[in-house]
Amino acid sequence: MKVPVSWLRDYVACDAAPETLAERLTFSGTEVEAVTPVEAAFEGVVVGEIRTVAPHPEADRLRICHVYDGRTERPVVCGAPNAAAGVKAPLATAGTRLADGTRVGSAAIRGQVSNGMLCAEDELGISDDHTGIMVLPEDTVPGTPFAELMGGPDSILDIEVTWNRPDCLSIIGIAREVAALFGAELRLPPVDFEEQGEPVEALARVSVDAAAACPRYTARVISDVTLGPGPLWMQRRLMLAGQRPINNVVDITNYVMLETGQPLHAFDYALLEDGRIVVRHARQGEALHTLDGVARPITPEMLMIADARRPVALAGIMGGAGSEIRPDTRRVLLESACFDPGTIRGTVSTLGLSTESAYRYERGVDPAGAEWCSRRAAHLLARHAGGTVAPGVADVYPGQSPPRRIRCRYERVNRVLGVAVPGERVASILETLQIPVVARDASGCTVEAPSFRRDIEIEADLIEEVARLHGLDKIPAALPQARRAPGVSNEAVYAHQACRRSLIGLGLHEIVNYSFVGAEAPSQFDAERRAEWIVLPNPVSADYALLRAMLAPQMVDTLGRNLARQVGTAALFEMGRVFRRKPGTANGETARLCVGLLGPAGRGALDRRRPVEAEEMFLWLKGCIESLGRAQHVPDLSMRPGRTAWLDASWTVEVRSGSHRIGVLGVLAESIRRERRMAEPAAVAELDLDPFVAHAFAAPELRPIPAYPGVARDMALIVDEAVAHETIDGIIRQAAPPELTRVSLFDIFRAEGIGRGRKSLAYTLYYRSAERTLTDEDANGYMARVKEALRKALNVEIRETQ
Amino acid sequence: MNKDRIEEAQAEALEACKAAETPEALEGVRITYLGRKGLLPAMMKGLKGLAPGERAAAGRAANAFKEAVTQALAERRRTLQAPAPVAGGPGADTSLPGRWHRLGSMHPVSRVIEEAVRIFGEVGFTVAEGPDIESAYHNFEALNTPPHHPSLDPQDTFWLDSGELLRTQTSPVQIRVMESRQPPVRVITPGRCYRRDTTDATHSANFHQIEGLHVDENGGSLSDLKGVLAHFAHEMMGPEVGVRFRPHFFPFTEPSVECDFSCHVCGGGGCRVCKFSGWIEIAGAGVVDPRVYAKVGYDAERLSGYAFGMGVERIAMVKYGIEDIRMLYDNDVRFLEQFA
Repeated sequence: MKVPVSWLRDYVACDAAPETLAERLTFSGTEVEAVTPVEAAFEGVVVGEIRTVAPHPEADRLRICHVYDGRTERPVVCGAPNAAAGVKAPLATAGTRLADGTRVGSAAIRGQVSNGMLCAEDELGISDDHTGIMVLPEDTVPGTPFAELMGGPDSILDIEVTWNRPDCLSIIGIAREVAALFGAELRLPPVDFEEQGEPVEALARVSVDAAAACPRYTARVISDVTLGPGPLWMQRRLMLAGQRPINNVVDITNYVMLETGQPLHAFDYALLEDGRIVVRHARQGEALHTLDGVARPITPEMLMIADARRPVALAGIMGGAGSEIRPDTRRVLLESACFDPGTIRGTVSTLGLSTESAYRYERGVDPAGAEWCSRRAAHLLARHAGGTVAPGVADVYPGQSPPRRIRCRYERVNRVLGVAVPGERVASILETLQIPVVARDASGCTVEAPSFRRDIEIEADLIEEVARLHGLDKIPAALPQARRAPGVSNEAVYAHQACRRSLIGLGLHEIVNYSFVGAEAPSQFDAERRAEWIVLPNPVSADYALLRAMLAPQMVDTLGRNLARQVGTAALFEMGRVFRRKPGTANGETARLCVGLLGPAGRGALDRRRPVEAEEMFLWLKGCIESLGRAQHVPDLSMRPGRTAWLDASWTVEVRSGSHRIGVLGVLAESIRRERRMAEPAAVAELDLDPFVAHAFAAPELRPIPAYPGVARDMALIVDEAVAHETIDGIIRQAAPPELTRVSLFDIFRAEGIGRGRKSLAYTLYYRSAERTLTDEDANGYMARVKEALRKALNVEIRETQ
Repeated sequence: MNKDRIEEAQAEALEACKAAETPEALEGVRITYLGRKGLLPAMMKGLKGLAPGERAAAGRAANAFKEAVTQALAERRRTLQAPAPVAGGPGADTSLPGRWHRLGSMHPVSRVIEEAVRIFGEVGFTVAEGPDIESAYHNFEALNTPPHHPSLDPQDTFWLDSGELLRTQTSPVQIRVMESRQPPVRVITPGRCYRRDTTDATHSANFHQIEGLHVDENGGSLSDLKGVLAHFAHEMMGPEVGVRFRPHFFPFTEPSVECDFSCHVCGGGGCRVCKFSGWIEIAGAGVVDPRVYAKVGYDAERLSGYAFGMGVERIAMVKYGIEDIRMLYDNDVRFLEQFA
């Protein structure tokens, strides 16, 4: 809401500087976003009167005007189509700087002397209108400085009005705040006029068929209006407030709306069938061309203003083209009404059509004020459009209600604010806000909520008024007192934090992706469960069409994006929620963990040049998840070969905790990585997060530290490629005595000498007894049993080393 | 050997220790003075030939000799055994890159949330969480949002076909907490929220909030709110940072305020971070509207409480000097690793 300070001062006797007004308003809840000074403009521009117009000998489209500037006549070359003898227009004399910065000279135009320039509105920076020179009212005196007509320097307060204060969508509403803040007097503008001719009842009949949607409708009829430009001061104010002047009648309705917050509409009475106004919902099959020339598809829940035959306006939003004010309009029906916010909101939303009027109705307009605002507009129409006002007003007021009485207890004020505000101060604050105090005693006061303050409904609303007028800066900051609410714990949050820190400790960077993905983003990953994807009915863009059902697709994209930026090594994780529609039940969300590795992320500094291989990427990731599992005490974490669409079939395992499948990890399928121009294998894991946080703070089961030394024996096994480490490990553990404490694979070797299709796996076996020191003979015996079992089970050649 | 001779020999032996340049030479010194055929055994034998008066003094001197020389030998041996410092010597390049595990990093959004959990945790707030997919009741109606408020518009909110929506704030978690617990309530609710904003440098359709709620039979006033937010400002942005309130409007609080922190960069003098105002808008807050208590069955007369909410990305941007919110969702490793 743009508020010219000069206009504001019409209604409140306060001469505080604009910056002071802005500061006080902002800190009492009426936020002034900007104070824009309006420069003293129009220097060198005076009112000129065109005395004669002659054609330009050298140019068809130019004419030579002789313009009287109050002292002398001068020739001015002009191309405007509306330059005619008798017209008064702004004359920029030589040296004047125009709105676009150019300077008016005194020069010959195509051989003819032009001394100054007749200006269009855009050249003066008044509007962007360039259809012709700006025609000034006939009674303006030539030679008058143009600035005098338009008002001097000013300031505009740009105010952000909150949803609950539609009363502040008006200059008077802001003036009311200023009056309360500065203890200044509020002065309302005149609303008087003479009534003449036939009474309104003889001219107009109003009925409201939709009382719930229209608490009040008033109509006045103003006859014998003369359409023309509105008074310059009014045009100027409308422009400063951001509106374009149109004609005197329309300007007055807009002016009063800005002044009072009450939207008004002027119908051409002659175009209303039978002088009837019916406020009703639209009927099936009805149509309306709004005055912006658009055919609106109207539906039965929309509220219409109709005459005896057809809709003539979209109630509260925009008039119809069939009843709008025209240059030949002689009689006006002036609507000042109140409509239900929800009804207006619905129509605005359906049609995608919002107007200044609708903006106010959506937030709530004061029904009690409608008649006063109608009088204010009638006053101006009588003065500035030459109208005569028919006696009386058609006023249908189904929504009338007595004012609410609200008690304000001083003790409650102090309790809520945490500071003692004296009772008399509370009452006086409310009174300065024009909230009448109707009763008071030692413990509190009772007020009547004014009709223009729709937001004041309960005691808390009054306490808010006290707080903002008393000053929030006067409320001290109390020292926080820690106190635990019983029965709650932060353990789950700390478990998540511990998991995050474990992942970071493993060298991973945390990433955060959107919850949205493109419509086809998961199709290579999750196509068989497409039915579970949650599609957004109104996405912001095609890239954000679905809620993510898994984290891996975005992880892969993130790796690919980094690679495209020459970041070839990345070790990343994300902890986040995924969403799936479960048939027959509510939409489900689960917390997941995704880890992605790209490039030689796990290798030492001097070993980063060799190309990475699928096996090592797989093992880095596997080790990473195993380590995380240990750090977070995941019970019985295990992995077994698995399959999933987006991972390489050779290098995929499913991850389990006990018998629960908690996710998969492996090397990214080649087709997926190639698409993202990843030349080398990358590894990705997607896992449920819960198993990694559920036991984060589990107490360890302590084992005694061994009292006796152990013995270690190495052996190398040459076996077929197909024999898995897991198989060998299993045989060893089964054959060995309880003294075996650890089996450790320390080398894998492949060479010609070993044989084609064979590999050498070297293990260290550690033995230890809790009762005695083991001897060489003991160890030899154990090893013999192990080797025996291996030979029995496998095609193996065993080499023992000490 | 009398006492004087012994003391002379001691001085000589100590000198010899110092002079020995190699462990072998030092061993020679030991043999000369303390060895089986060395000076010390000869000294002890010689004591017998002394007059009784001299013998005691000489005996003490001999013991002192043994002790002093033994100690000097040990000291010298340690010195000789220590490796010579050969800085930059062949094969020893201490400037080679160290071997250590790579460091990971915490995303700035998580950093801010974790810090907030700590800061509010210190004054008694625990964390509560709720679903991203919410009911319209919890997200709007229970929070006293008027039925025609613009935030319900499909232009602003992601509605789902199920009739549910993606929460536009974490306030519905406050409702869920009050539905399930009796006062006193002291929670913060960090989480992800969604609004149909077009993404630009300061807007993101997907963002995070931290909200707080404190409802109690005593306390929970606007003054307490100011104190808690001041505590947060000091801990999060720095001990010099102050807070101020401006009245505002939110459907679920009354009075409602916006809370500004004084600029931690310029101290209030004005700079680019605070857009030359000296203040940075951080939180929306207020005293809980009694109509909200009515929805959850609390007795508004007995209670008072405040609520606050703030944007995590906003705090991260202000605190770390991130100029574009999209950096936070771009996940460029070169950005992330700076948060190690």
